[in-house]
Amino acid sequence: MTQFRKGLWRSALAAAAVAGFVTSAAAQMELKIMAPAAPGGGWDQTARSMQQALTQSGIAKSAQVTNVPGAGGSIGIAQLVNNSKGDGNQLMVMGYVMVGALLTNKSPITLDQTTPIARLTTEYEAIVVPADSPIKNAKDLATAIKADPAKVTWAGGSAGGVDHIAAALFAKAAGADPTKINYIPFSGGGEALAAILGGKVTAGISGYGEFESQVKAGKLRLIGLTSAKKTANVDVPSIKEQGIDLEIANWRAVVAPPGISADQKKALTDTMDKMAKSKEWQEILKAKGWEDAYVSGDAFTKILADEQTRTKDVLTAVGLVKS
Amino acid sequence: MATSPQRRVDVAGLVIAVILLVLAAVVWWDMSKLQILSPYDLGPKVMPIIVSGCLTLLAIGNAIGALRGDLPARDSLDWKPIILILGALACLIVLIRFGGGFMIGTALLFAATSTAFGRRAFVTDFIIGAVIALIVYVLFAKLLTLSLPAGPLERLF
Amino acid sequence: MEAFASLADGLVVAIQPANLLFALIGVLLGTAVGVLPGIGPALTVALLLPITFKLDPAGSIIMFAGIYYGGMYGGSTTAILINTPGESASMATALEGNLMAKAGRGGPALATAAIGSFVAGTIATLGLTLLAPYLVDIAVSFGPEDYFALMVVAFVTVSATFGDSPVRGLTSLFIGLMLGLVGIDLLSGQSRLSFGVPELYDNIEVTTLAVGLFAVGEALYVASRRHIQEEKLEAVRGSLWMTKEDWKRSWKPWLRGTMFGFPIGALPAGGAEIPTFLSYATERRLTKHPEDFGKGAIEGVAGPEAANNASAAGTLVPLLTLGLPTSATAAMMLAGFQQYNINPGPLLFAQNADLVWGLIASLFIANAMLLVLNLPLVGLWVKLLTIPQPWLYAGILVFATMGTIAANPSPVELMMLTVFGVLGFLMRRFDFPIAPVIVGMILGPLAESQLRRALSISLGDPMTLLQSPISATLLTIALIALVLPFFLKGLGRFKAVED
Repeated sequence: MTQFRKGLWRSALAAAAVAGFVTSAAAQMELKIMAPAAPGGGWDQTARSMQQALTQSGIAKSAQVTNVPGAGGSIGIAQLVNNSKGDGNQLMVMGYVMVGALLTNKSPITLDQTTPIARLTTEYEAIVVPADSPIKNAKDLATAIKADPAKVTWAGGSAGGVDHIAAALFAKAAGADPTKINYIPFSGGGEALAAILGGKVTAGISGYGEFESQVKAGKLRLIGLTSAKKTANVDVPSIKEQGIDLEIANWRAVVAPPGISADQKKALTDTMDKMAKSKEWQEILKAKGWEDAYVSGDAFTKILADEQTRTKDVLTAVGLVKS
Repeated sequence: MATSPQRRVDVAGLVIAVILLVLAAVVWWDMSKLQILSPYDLGPKVMPIIVSGCLTLLAIGNAIGALRGDLPARDSLDWKPIILILGALACLIVLIRFGGGFMIGTALLFAATSTAFGRRAFVTDFIIGAVIALIVYVLFAKLLTLSLPAGPLERLF
Repeated sequence: MEAFASLADGLVVAIQPANLLFALIGVLLGTAVGVLPGIGPALTVALLLPITFKLDPAGSIIMFAGIYYGGMYGGSTTAILINTPGESASMATALEGNLMAKAGRGGPALATAAIGSFVAGTIATLGLTLLAPYLVDIAVSFGPEDYFALMVVAFVTVSATFGDSPVRGLTSLFIGLMLGLVGIDLLSGQSRLSFGVPELYDNIEVTTLAVGLFAVGEALYVASRRHIQEEKLEAVRGSLWMTKEDWKRSWKPWLRGTMFGFPIGALPAGGAEIPTFLSYATERRLTKHPEDFGKGAIEGVAGPEAANNASAAGTLVPLLTLGLPTSATAAMMLAGFQQYNINPGPLLFAQNADLVWGLIASLFIANAMLLVLNLPLVGLWVKLLTIPQPWLYAGILVFATMGTIAANPSPVELMMLTVFGVLGFLMRRFDFPIAPVIVGMILGPLAESQLRRALSISLGDPMTLLQSPISATLLTIALIALVLPFFLKGLGRFKAVED
């Protein structure tokens, strides 16, 4: 109790102090991290992990997570660009999914309007089936989808997202028509997971983290990850090693609002640099099974531009974007 | 109103019917612009079609009611308090939109509403409203670190 | 029974003075934030996460549970007293509860809400203790077609909220369904009725709609009629407490509300709104005092209040057993668990038994605390109604707008609140019922996406709705509920429909 009250007092006093006379920005930021997704999903977990690492290590004084869910992040980015212009304490978690979502939603707002800060992690997509499914491996799934793509139902995240793209690419690699896949979007990770566990769909596709505890408990069978080679945290060879030419990674990154000053950008980048090296962040990466893919500054800006071009090509090819 | 032997046509009721018809048209027009159709489910158009169709039917239903003069009786209306409250809400929106902070706007809303309800102590009520706003601001912004729209007044605290 | 032995161990954890204190802080905070529309338990837990990570896991998770239950209480207090539901789960409560308060029966309304919540919360927590592993299997077996059938049942039963004119009731419902279309369509990723306004891509916030229609609309309406009749509020008429009659009329709704709330809350896409409205509609059908509905019937408060608290406990079933967060607050609690590297899921009961049972035990304690805190406060709360009318309504509007901007500080949100306020005013003036708008907006999008998912899975074959036993049963219930009144009431209703 005393600890709790002290904490409350301390934060109240400190907040009052900062509001009174702004201290050096870079040293102890009061960050606001927006997760442009519903609580519980991948971006939300990333935002909350950042919050944990930043505050536990003392790199930031506070980090407040807000959720702005919907449509693969189109709403979140709109809010970031429209409402947070020039706010040097605001970050938004985003990822590969958003690159595609902005295209499929014909969003008037593009990632070029944000200020790229850093890429944090990559996570491979996992394909799972219910434990009692007759499908044992990637080959079985490929055979089924080639026979009739309509009969293989996929549960995953929002339309046009990385889950959707990966499912389409899997169908293509299996020799089926990718525009004919029967992909069913669910809102949030929980609902899709329930549908897979209940055997309502043939397969589920999402980041491995969302399935891990169910796979370990034996309720779901892991078909494979979309990595090039088998990773250390799973027992199953990658989908590519099983002979289906599918390789896709869902990276996650943070961007800042438009219109921030060079100093503000530097302060944010420095904070992220420090966080990425911190013991706390590294522990979280290990616990969550996320692969460290930290890149900041101009290198990340270039990656973001390249991915936008590549994704547009993929989406047009599978018919998710009409050019 | 419906007491006269020959039931009078209710103009307001007809306006409601027209509004419903317009809404139905807007829903239909918006639906017609959707492009991506899912291959296996009903697609995004079915629900708007149902809503638009039913709104049209309900517009007809409401119009019939209005022509028959079936609407429930209405009392006379005092517009002044409504304009006062809506005006204060508009001020609040404008103040927040242009960075005036929410405190002045909230105090204004409090005073305007209490005036609308017949009090004649605008200044006193304005101060009461400001105090309430201040308490809430301190509670939220400082204790829970929640961001409320800030203006010049809020930055003093 | 093994569960009871574990629960006893849990109680030992929960009644440690420090943990009791956390539970107390939790319920107080929860009640406070539940009172404000827009600020709910989810947001509070999110805001407190960074503060609590230094505390020990048991303490902070117990506090979060207190916030969760407390929020459910706080929301109903404002719903009853000032017609401003703090949470979407307390909307059904506002319907009869506020009428009771206006009739001077705010005391019994608050009391039946508090006691009903306690009863429901206790039974549901007991259900969580004993049935969680079995319930979760059923919950997971619920497919999209079954959810759709559940929505159909809800749609049919909410016709009870239509008032006396079916045309006007349906008009309200379809306005709600239209509002539900606004935003991005989940299944195709395209925006509908958004006109390129990014704020509209995100669906309309239910609390903004409810607060606009209920609170702002009512303030405008009352203000516009002041010159005709001064509304005199009598804070207490008759007994401040529940009479014997009140008890007699409340206990069955409490139990029935629990039966709706707990299982539906345990469904991964169940939520708290559907059971509360189902409970309201059921009580309206079953009551021996149908003349009271529309004037403040205690059954209409007792049932929904029990339902919303029971659903809160139900939500913990998939969270603890599967790690499935099925509500925003549950997702926050999941984040709370994860911050201590505890992963809810199939292994949680085995790996962190102390913590889980401590949490469940503290749910019982939080519940009892809320009852003890709230009952004595009833007298004080009711005094709120004796505030002079100008200040009361001014205060309501300030609360309504502040809650809205605190949750989403955007002028567009406030504009929506104002527009919905005007809509609520006009609907009152022309005698359109308000509740169906909210019901339509909540249920419409859910029903649409579940039906489309079900048809996707069956490749467009509508027979899937009848092939699933759950769905077939629910649809039969819906059919009976639809047809029965016609048989009972003869052709009188048919005439009204044609009107």
